[in-house]
Amino acid sequence: MLTGSKTTFKVRQMVPDMKERMMSHSSLLARGRDVLGLCCLPGECVLQRAVLVRKKLSAKEGGGWLSGTLFCTHFRVAFVPQDSQKPDDNADPVLLGDHDVALASIDKVVAVGPSRTKLVTPTCSLKFTPEELVLYCRDLRVLCFLFDRLTPDTQAVEITYTIAKTYQPLKPGTIISFQNAALGSIEMKQFLSNRRRDPTMNWFESSLGWEQELERTGATGWRVSSVNDRFEMSTSLPRFIVVPQRVLDTELKKTFAHFNEGRIPRWCWRHPRGSDLLRMASFQNNIYHERDDIRNLESVLFGGQQLCVIVDLGEEMPSPADIQLAHTRLRTLCLGDISSSVSVPDDKWLSTLESTRWLDYTRCCLRKAAEVACLLRGGHMTVVLQEPEDRDMNCVVCSLVQVMCDPHCRTVAGFQSLVQKEWITAGHKFLSRINCHRESDKEEAPVFLLFLDCVWQLWAQYPARFQLTEDYLLALHDSVHLPLFSSLLANSQRERCRRSQHLPQSYTPVNGLRELPMGGPEPSVDPPFPPVWDWALQYSSQRRVRFTQPVSQPPCPPPVLNGNLNTNLDRGWHSDGLLPGSVFLLSRSTFSHPSNLLPWRSGNSGSYWKSHRRAPSSESVSGLERLIRACSLSEPSENSTTLHDPYEPLLPLLLGPCVRVWRSCYLRGALHAQAFSHPVSSCSQHPLEQLSWEVQQLREKLAQASNRRPENQTKRQEPRRLESNLNQNANNGTFLFSSSSRTSQQQASPSRGVSHSSVPPRAQRTAPDLPGPAQRNNSKHTFLFGHQQEPQSGQRHIPSPSAKLPKRPGNTH
Amino acid sequence: MEKQQHSSGSDSPVLPPVPRKPQILGGGIPASRQDSEDSLDSPSGSHVEWCKQLIAATISSQISGGVPPEAIIRECKVSRRPNLRQVFRDARKQVPMDEVPLVPGETIKTTVKDVMYICPFTGAVTGTLTVTDYKLYFVSLERDAPFILDVNLGAISRLETIGVQSHGENTSGMEIVCKDMRSPRFAYKKEEQNNVEILEDLTKHAFPLTNELSLFAFQYKEQFPEDGWKVYDPVAEYKRMGLPNESWTISKINSNYEVCDTYPALLVTPTSIKEDEIKRVASFRMKHRIPVLSWIHPETQATIVRCSQPMVGPTDRRCKEDEHYLQTIMDANAQSHKLTIFDARQNTVADNHKAKDGGYENKNFYPSMELIFLEIPNIHVMRESLRKLKEVVYPTIDEPRWHSAIDATHWLEYIRLLLAGAVRIADKVESSKSSVVVHCSDGWDRTAQLTSLSMLMLDSYYRTLRGFQVLLEKEWIGFGHKFAARVGHGDENHANSERSPLFVQFIDCVWQIMRQFPTAFEFNELFLVTILDHLYSCLFGTFLYNSEQERVEKALNSKTVSLWSYINSQPEDFTNPFYVDYENHVLYPLASLRHLELWAAYYVRWNPRMRPQMPVHQNLKELLYLRAELQRKVDELQKEASSSRSISSSSEHAYSPSHGGTPLHSSV
Repeated sequence: MLTGSKTTFKVRQMVPDMKERMMSHSSLLARGRDVLGLCCLPGECVLQRAVLVRKKLSAKEGGGWLSGTLFCTHFRVAFVPQDSQKPDDNADPVLLGDHDVALASIDKVVAVGPSRTKLVTPTCSLKFTPEELVLYCRDLRVLCFLFDRLTPDTQAVEITYTIAKTYQPLKPGTIISFQNAALGSIEMKQFLSNRRRDPTMNWFESSLGWEQELERTGATGWRVSSVNDRFEMSTSLPRFIVVPQRVLDTELKKTFAHFNEGRIPRWCWRHPRGSDLLRMASFQNNIYHERDDIRNLESVLFGGQQLCVIVDLGEEMPSPADIQLAHTRLRTLCLGDISSSVSVPDDKWLSTLESTRWLDYTRCCLRKAAEVACLLRGGHMTVVLQEPEDRDMNCVVCSLVQVMCDPHCRTVAGFQSLVQKEWITAGHKFLSRINCHRESDKEEAPVFLLFLDCVWQLWAQYPARFQLTEDYLLALHDSVHLPLFSSLLANSQRERCRRSQHLPQSYTPVNGLRELPMGGPEPSVDPPFPPVWDWALQYSSQRRVRFTQPVSQPPCPPPVLNGNLNTNLDRGWHSDGLLPGSVFLLSRSTFSHPSNLLPWRSGNSGSYWKSHRRAPSSESVSGLERLIRACSLSEPSENSTTLHDPYEPLLPLLLGPCVRVWRSCYLRGALHAQAFSHPVSSCSQHPLEQLSWEVQQLREKLAQASNRRPENQTKRQEPRRLESNLNQNANNGTFLFSSSSRTSQQQASPSRGVSHSSVPPRAQRTAPDLPGPAQRNNSKHTFLFGHQQEPQSGQRHIPSPSAKLPKRPGNTH
Repeated sequence: MEKQQHSSGSDSPVLPPVPRKPQILGGGIPASRQDSEDSLDSPSGSHVEWCKQLIAATISSQISGGVPPEAIIRECKVSRRPNLRQVFRDARKQVPMDEVPLVPGETIKTTVKDVMYICPFTGAVTGTLTVTDYKLYFVSLERDAPFILDVNLGAISRLETIGVQSHGENTSGMEIVCKDMRSPRFAYKKEEQNNVEILEDLTKHAFPLTNELSLFAFQYKEQFPEDGWKVYDPVAEYKRMGLPNESWTISKINSNYEVCDTYPALLVTPTSIKEDEIKRVASFRMKHRIPVLSWIHPETQATIVRCSQPMVGPTDRRCKEDEHYLQTIMDANAQSHKLTIFDARQNTVADNHKAKDGGYENKNFYPSMELIFLEIPNIHVMRESLRKLKEVVYPTIDEPRWHSAIDATHWLEYIRLLLAGAVRIADKVESSKSSVVVHCSDGWDRTAQLTSLSMLMLDSYYRTLRGFQVLLEKEWIGFGHKFAARVGHGDENHANSERSPLFVQFIDCVWQIMRQFPTAFEFNELFLVTILDHLYSCLFGTFLYNSEQERVEKALNSKTVSLWSYINSQPEDFTNPFYVDYENHVLYPLASLRHLELWAAYYVRWNPRMRPQMPVHQNLKELLYLRAELQRKVDELQKEASSSRSISSSSEHAYSPSHGGTPLHSSV
């Protein structure tokens, strides 16, 4: 079972509060629609509007201009295209329309006049009527609106002022009013509290989630410990951690003191070849190691394995400050110096790009993760990522390794579970790093964005190996700048629990959490923040359909019990010189075994490991080095074989030309972009979707044809069998359904079945308000998992056009 | 080509058995040479296809040769089945000569054993080097997987002896500097007689013209089912554009190449201009390259006209006929009262040309004309830029300084200039509905780049596989881009200042547009790489010689094979499965450095660390197979059903194969 579970779900209780009453008086248009077609959120009111405005579409949107009406509410700047469909009044509220931008995302407002451009601030006054309004966003979008000559001048001026005054440059306090504007109304709160959490993903908020992960990866010898249930052992660790089975909780408690912030080595993931991936903070030095402690520390570090490699992420990786500087430079490069001029000089683009060092850092993270991935492939060792705080680069590398190695992490549900596991519950300091409250300027660093960039690099190099798409990564990228999500508004699970006040209740601790030192009720507790994964809240169904590939790789292969996949591949490194209990350090792509690697082994603090103090042979070092060499220079031939093995990591190419700028993110709003329309319109149906739709049609017809002949059962079976051969053949690990997944679904693996069959209904919701293409989109999910649904093809939502053409085959042949 | 075949015996699942046209794999190879077991082993069909794509798109120049399918198939087999590899290896030991794949007409000249290839990526390997009159072929069985390096002799720019002391006393070294961005190095023993000859043989056959031999294209004996020489028929192409019409006529004035020896026989000129007038215009234009029509807008009648610079000279000469001629061109388009002249050169350079009897149109004498300089540097600057680029990409790449190194070559900047210029031209024609005249100095380099790029943007026909061939035949080959001089086919003089990679630059621009509009082109990247490989290879006659006149003299059409014969005999390999024909759509690529990218799949393809990723279009191709297969099964079932219950089955319905305008290419 992969997913967070129905058992943990509980309908949230409404918390009555004062704030909402304060808010409600300002909502002039409660749950209503403006005459011009803006579907307001409950409590949202339109402050200003301008008619006959044209929005410049990005290349991805098809380019050209779209005319409509521009609105400014106290939550967002909305743009409603002229010919947009009437919104459905009964539909669930969506925070942002396809052309909207939240006020909190806006960074700068620039008005372009006949001969000048001006940065509009809340206090300044315009001396000209703007012809063009440009909104620079924190997420690197640039929205450009053109006022028509027929737009009343007052409207153009007023909406510019209104936006400038309400967009709330980030500072402490403004965020709260923004949050209230978005989610503060009674209706909205009620609506949010009734939302179900996505059951297909693993939230890792209960011990069950971790148990499912252990089961999914086939890890044995590990158990879920609730020793940190009340965050007493470590305030930044999650409530549940996975540790070796043989270490008792009482023993475990003694290890916390030996690590920075109590972040002890914790299990994260098991490679199908049997290696375990762990992460930890740096050792606390100057602490006396008791003999028993040492035994426990060794156990925690080694799990059930004989060999342990500690990967140092402290030194050679970029620091948060580096990342912040690089990102600032990148933003300046991509958006230009907004205050001085709108256009950006084009020459020296590449050199300037290089000097931002952003791509260097991306490459650095990918290289480190690739090394770790190759190391894990060797089997039978624990690879422990170590970073002083264990809250930044460990998150990046640990999750990148899993994206590379685990096909499940390349699906939307799997990726979300991964972020939940390695970032959100693991205590990445989202609140400080994103710094939306402007309270932690020194700590601000877009580490998570760097991670998304790395994932994009992988995606760009192996698009067909991902179920999620660039659109999904973009959506996540943009959400980071929207201070509305519980997932991203806290520094640790503990803070999140305190904030929301209702913990997931699957595990009911004795005396509960009420005993936690609460530190007084915080004023910012309300409104209840939704998790970022509730995409339906942010994006229309049309856009969510694009989060997944129409044709994807098979759902991840079944877990291998005991994790012991064929390990004979790289046994070369297992030389005789390797002693059980050896510890190596991987740093700067070389292995070493410094004597002071483990503080308790270096001192005279006991003779427990004395027998193993002998230095491991250099042969084993070179054997390990051979393992990771694969990532630095993979021979061309290797690719074609590895392509078909789902367990082979996706090793990124890191050569200069291969690490690229995420153009569709950072250069989305490039103003020098043309205003001409061109054929690659994402609004029209993609040929791939068309094709998968056709395949689905044929598949159905095949099912129909075979069902219609009850008199010969044997023949009926034939096509199915053929087809499974076909799938097997077509599989190649590249896409389509694998026969293995099929068998695993048939075998008692209901979880898989549930998670997949739950996809189509979501898509089907899109169907009514969309013409042809969307209905076809819909079919892509059914196509993806076609096997399961074959028998139900009669209930399928898709209207079969050919059904309207009842032709006698005799006539046509 | 350089590759290391993998030796893994992983039983990669095979792809659906799809009936394939044997021609795809046979590729016109005589049946005797065809390994029937290989090519007709249907389950491997699309896997082979896939391998082909994979290997070819990045590494191979061999695939684009005449024989590739077979060779690649064998290699795939070798890699997929270890036992076969063993067979292959054993066979090699017995009859090593047979293992060099030869194209029809190719003969082996020298074979030397124990030659060391000093691979800059994976270290030195020792093996056998074979020189034929078409290629240099190195194979090493030293490593686990056979290592093959294959260089077309035509791609060799120069041969140099190098010092290789580190590899032993009596060893001499040789560096083969290639036009296609690589320079493999070899080391071999001096003492044996055979070995001394190798450099001589190589020199002789790499530079046949210098050594009074004929180009290999004249020996190449491949038969293709398609005849590429029939792709371009000027009359048919002009007819497609709606010519001749009342303003424009197809003139035979140059049928003997008397008016202009670098122009084609058929020219489109304004109807009202008399022959003697044309001749006087010709004497005023550099190299007699008079303004002639390249393209006409089907609706507005706005035209793209190309020519060379006017011979204004330092004294500001005028030519009444030339002024009248341009006026007539403008008048032929009723939509606009302006004519825009795009001079590709830099303004200052154009001024300098005045002193050398050249120059540009004087505004005073051409009152309703607008003259725009596109500021594109000349061929020497481009040559230097590509030379620098080669230093950056081969053999090693300095990762942290990659971007600034690319910046310093200015290659992308010149690509940008070209694209920007072409966009301006296309925009002028499309949006301003105004006719344009394009020229540079001689009107065969930058002019060809600009006109063909803007035509590619304006006319979706040129974005098809055939249309692009027509475009090249017309704008480049027909109008006398000096391929022989610019590429230096078979010529030893590598330092010749006439050489310049302008055509490469053009193809790069096409690739840039393709990258920005992935569904707008019927052809794929492999097609472009193949064209560039055979720009140098001298296997096909397509890019040989400088002008139509020379080609007619040498009877290329009858004595050599056209590249398009090869391409059009297996179009499946070169088509873009994502292609959607948006008719009448004008493409305006973003001509900004931040939206351009270095074409790494071409320039950096020799680096094994650039190994290809899984081609995305493979996904789609497999879907297409699946669709074909499912459709076949549906048809079968229906047939079966109709025969078993021929009357009652009213609910059965035939699947219409032409399901409502699918914008996809069913051909896989």
